[in-house]
Amino acid sequence: MSGLDALTRRFVGMAQGERSLVRLVGLALGVLILFSALSPNIFFSVINFQTIAFGVPEIGLLSLAVMVAMLTGGIDLSIVSVANLTALTTATLFAAFGATEATGGQAVLLTVLFVLAGLLVAVLAGLFNGFLVAVIGVTPILATLGTMQLYNGIAIVWTGGEALYGMPEAFLALGNNTVALLPISFVVFVLIAVALAVLINRTPLGTKLRLVGANPTAARFSGIDNRRVLLMTYVVTGLLAGGAGIIIASRSASASPDYGSSYLLLAIVVAILGGTNPFGGYGTVLGVVLATVTLQMVSSGFNIMRLSPFEYTIAQGLILVVVMVLDVAFNRRRTRAAAPPGGTGPAAPDPQDPTRPASATSAPVR
Amino acid sequence: MSTATAPAERGTSAPGSRSLAERLRGRNNEGVLALTILVLVLVMSLVNSDFFTVSTLFSILRNSLVEMVFALGVLIVIISGGIDVSFPVIGIFAGYTAIVLARNGDFDPGVIGALLIAIVVGSLLGLVNGGLVARFKLPTLIVTLGTQGIFRGVLLAYVGSKYIAELPQSLGALSTADLITHQHGSTTSRLHVFIIPVVLLCLAVHWLLQRTMFGRGVYALGGDSESARRAGFPVVRLQVLIYVLVGLLAGIAGIMHVTLSRNANPYELAGTELDIIAAVVLGGASILGGRGSVVGAVLGVLLIAVIKNSLILMGVPGTWQRVAVGVLLVVGVSIQALGARRRARRHTVELESAEV
Repeated sequence: MSGLDALTRRFVGMAQGERSLVRLVGLALGVLILFSALSPNIFFSVINFQTIAFGVPEIGLLSLAVMVAMLTGGIDLSIVSVANLTALTTATLFAAFGATEATGGQAVLLTVLFVLAGLLVAVLAGLFNGFLVAVIGVTPILATLGTMQLYNGIAIVWTGGEALYGMPEAFLALGNNTVALLPISFVVFVLIAVALAVLINRTPLGTKLRLVGANPTAARFSGIDNRRVLLMTYVVTGLLAGGAGIIIASRSASASPDYGSSYLLLAIVVAILGGTNPFGGYGTVLGVVLATVTLQMVSSGFNIMRLSPFEYTIAQGLILVVVMVLDVAFNRRRTRAAAPPGGTGPAAPDPQDPTRPASATSAPVR
Repeated sequence: MSTATAPAERGTSAPGSRSLAERLRGRNNEGVLALTILVLVLVMSLVNSDFFTVSTLFSILRNSLVEMVFALGVLIVIISGGIDVSFPVIGIFAGYTAIVLARNGDFDPGVIGALLIAIVVGSLLGLVNGGLVARFKLPTLIVTLGTQGIFRGVLLAYVGSKYIAELPQSLGALSTADLITHQHGSTTSRLHVFIIPVVLLCLAVHWLLQRTMFGRGVYALGGDSESARRAGFPVVRLQVLIYVLVGLLAGIAGIMHVTLSRNANPYELAGTELDIIAAVVLGGASILGGRGSVVGAVLGVLLIAVIKNSLILMGVPGTWQRVAVGVLLVVGVSIQALGARRRARRHTVELESAEV
């Protein structure tokens, strides 16, 4: 097959298969143009875009975690608890070793070490989630509902419900400094997103992950070890949540058991808005990133228009419901126009071209 | 009530009485749950003489009144194979709106009036959920996540975001109305009169689920919606009804919460949804639908209340409560999952041997 031909097919496939992505770009541009027109001086300014970029990483990482869990048809409700546990580990280590006073190379070294220690806790938390889901066989929503309480409880016992302070400059730079106008945390976020996209689209684990989500039975009969894939899935979500925790801690210069309690629902909203199929098999990193940026722009726009945060909550809910309703209405028309019913079984996604599997045509009730 | 069956169960674990043991165990392990509560109560009574008192019983009951009504709604929706995370927001929306209406109109709607307002508001919000779920066949978790945000936003932005310290007089009077007052030494323990409507609601929902066509439909829908449709159940109407009912129950729970706490705070209740879902799941309802019972849900709520109360009496710092509930939930769902897996394996073996 000639390279040009393959390229054309690929683009046509993307345009057809990733409608949700195209629609998201439209939505993002629409929001951008709307608020820029309403408030050209304040919204459409470098400072404001910088503010938006500061807000994106933490919600983006949590949403990516939800997306990865949804790829396998699961969900991870414990992400915010894991994020806080990670932040508390790092903060406690900083306090224990008096790292606030450290300067220069020593501070950087300690920061790297303690961030890694925090992420190790996140991996362990994810591993336990994965153990419950993959080995014990608990439904993901229940397993993570339990561990959400458990991890949050551990964090509360740990600090007595108080926030921890005292972090070195080297650590705070991550959440507060910029390079060439871009926040460092945003650059880190983009790097993580790219790495995750490579993991999902270009590695055997990524392919297996989508296959398990699209059809667990078929995946098992194709020789995929579902247990190991699920275990790895929740390690990845834990790690992403841990990253969010580190960024939250460095941005707020503190760690607490009850930061970001509203982020869990927001992360699920963003993941769905990003075109992730909650029943498994389909989701893209780019979609989730676009959805995060869009919602952050709406949030910032609402702020500038002096609308209350409550009205932003309404907007979040409305966007989610309207997008889902439009999606269904659009799909119904398409399936009616397409082949007669009954003839099309659920097609497994082609590993080379991960377009949407047929599961989108008739969503089950739940 | 069900605690009475638990000691009998231990006695009947002897061989030969399997059917009775299984019946006591309950279809959704209600018996095991009752036994757990009983053992916990026994241990706690031995450890701390303050535990086995009327006042402890009354305070546990009072703390679980509102949760129990919410749990009934959650139970129905979980049996039907769905999930609703918007019910606490619906509850506080209904309760708070009733108080605000009374304040703005400067009238006292009376207990019945306030209840009616809350029921109407709750049902209407439930109708929004039901309409979206049934009409567009959207995943229930996502819809109710979205509507939760919308309801909460509308409540705080347009109905009001202020704490109201004073209730209309009729509700204020009701908040201190006790069914039983028990004098023991210097302490007086009270059982709130709301225990009567809560028990009645439990019985009503039990009857609805076990004895009516609607209940059959809920279980059928949770088992398999396509099969339910082919069996002739009006799936769309059923789903709308289910969510309206959840909204209605949430409205009742909301006005009860406002009355019991003697103030109306629009920021309360939101965020408790997962705790109540946890209690219902602990009570044996399957998150996949088709299984669950009122007895189980009530026992689930009670178990969590008893554990929280025990921890306080044992002098465990309040910070440990969340860990304890988390451990309980993880262990509970793990045991259920392992049991389901064993059953499934036995079933497969039977099928395979039948095929051979």
